[in-house]
Amino acid sequence: MRIDATDVHKTYGDVTALDGLSLSIPSGSTFGVLGTNGAGKSTLFRLLVGHDRPDAGTVAVGGTDVTDDGRRIRELVGYLPEHVGFPDGLTGREVLGFHSRVRGLPRDGRVADAIDRVGLAPEEADRRVSGYSNGMCRRLGLASVLLPDPDVLVLDEPTAGLDPRGVDEFHAIIEEVTSSSDATVVFCSHVLPEVERLCDRAAVLHEGRVHAAGPIDALAADAADDDTGAANRADDRHRGGLRAAFRAAVTDASADEPSEVAP
Amino acid sequence: MTGPVDPDERASDRRTPDERESAPDETGTRPDGGHAGATVEASTTPVTAANAAAVRGSVRRVLTVAVTEYRLAVRSRWALALTGLFVVFGAMILTFSGSALGPDGAGRVVASLTSLAAYLVPLAALALGYDAVVGREDEGWLAVTFSLPVRRSEVVVGTYLGRLAVLAGATVLGFGFSGVLIVREFGIGAWSAFLGFLLGAVAVGSAFLAVALLLSTVVREKTHALGAALLVWVWFVLIHDLLALGLVAAFELPDIALTASVLSNPVSAFRVLVLSGLGAAAGGGFTALLVDSGLSTASITFALIAWCLVPVAVAARFVRRRRL
Repeated sequence: MRIDATDVHKTYGDVTALDGLSLSIPSGSTFGVLGTNGAGKSTLFRLLVGHDRPDAGTVAVGGTDVTDDGRRIRELVGYLPEHVGFPDGLTGREVLGFHSRVRGLPRDGRVADAIDRVGLAPEEADRRVSGYSNGMCRRLGLASVLLPDPDVLVLDEPTAGLDPRGVDEFHAIIEEVTSSSDATVVFCSHVLPEVERLCDRAAVLHEGRVHAAGPIDALAADAADDDTGAANRADDRHRGGLRAAFRAAVTDASADEPSEVAP
Repeated sequence: MTGPVDPDERASDRRTPDERESAPDETGTRPDGGHAGATVEASTTPVTAANAAAVRGSVRRVLTVAVTEYRLAVRSRWALALTGLFVVFGAMILTFSGSALGPDGAGRVVASLTSLAAYLVPLAALALGYDAVVGREDEGWLAVTFSLPVRRSEVVVGTYLGRLAVLAGATVLGFGFSGVLIVREFGIGAWSAFLGFLLGAVAVGSAFLAVALLLSTVVREKTHALGAALLVWVWFVLIHDLLALGLVAAFELPDIALTASVLSNPVSAFRVLVLSGLGAAAGGGFTALLVDSGLSTASITFALIAWCLVPVAVAARFVRRRRL
């Protein structure tokens, strides 16, 4: 399912979170959104699931404007927030049961399937969430968004706070999901190698705008160039590679106009 | 600047709720598990059928939230603590006023219980409800819940109903223990007076739970919600009646002021509702003055119901604009 954001503006008081952001995410792609803190990643994601609405511009999922029918959008989109949390008194299985009932899903064993899919042991799923590690909470969160087999998965920094092994296992789950379904997967990250590993397309956000966007192949080509170590930041930006754009966005607050990576 | 809002509740949404509820997605699967074909058939049936489906979906979501809230409150031992609190304090009242024998004995015990409940039940309700929304936001659950295809107002109503079930259950069980002892002591004739007290206690608890839910929706910090809840308790339980008495006495205000005083405070309404049924056992003082205000049981009951519904409705409105 395709996602389109067109000239989106969003401010919170004096803070401009999104400043004319335009972005298209093709159906079925695995799309990485890179950017520093405050670049607008989480704001974009909140708009995608209807937690917020743009001051100007449009955000559409599968052609449906998110401000027209938020509940319909949330039927289509599985969203894992950055700070995912569950009530301590529920077991993992009960959390998934709650999701299933609210969504009106049939009782066809999909809770057990989701638990299995994210690598939670059945006995772990029957424990109270209060005893879960951060990694287990992340897995449970992912299981909850996979439950309805959504057309779009939106994951806000899904590996934040995980140890290297947890990150690796999480990547394996995402790879399994992307290889076994046609879902459009969008996630944001601070970590370039994560995007390189998982995504076929990516965008770099900077100060609420798209600084660079394109297929991940262009990133790989640029990474090879980057190995020569000869380029300065300005050259990197002109070349337009994602790695260069990300580095420029991280290190240069006065970045240039958005650039597009040639497919 | 445009504020955050629950988009499915915006005025610009041109589709009716029932259309949204039963709309098929691109795979032909509806959120309720049905199929697009069924929707086509449904479009030929009367509108009431679609409305009924929408209501069923809404009820399902509200009940799911309510059952989860109830389960969490029971597991966190809130239900046990409140029941124990009401049993202990009720037993204390019975112990110290149990010597009141004769035909008015039961009435006096119920009047004593009413005085106790006027302090205790609002406090318990505020303590149970102050973190209903802001607490769930703190733990990250609100963001998860609001990401599901559920209206924010349904989450608020479900949260209220779940916690209300806990409070009402604890009130009935906790004070029910006192009721059994009263009936044993004074005979079955005392039951009606006690039943009036019990229903009134549940009603005043429901009202303060609704107010707590509203506070929890408005504030951004859990500690602020707790502080606001305590202020609400101090105002309604300690200050309001004293202030009203002072104003009525000082300015010789007409009866309508007294009526307004009773209806604008659920604690006063509760006292008048219960004590007006006890007659001479109600005692004197400002309470007797309130009881003599001439308000009918129906109008007081209506006021208490309004004290439950209005805060929940306002909370459901405010939560739509809450930024996560």
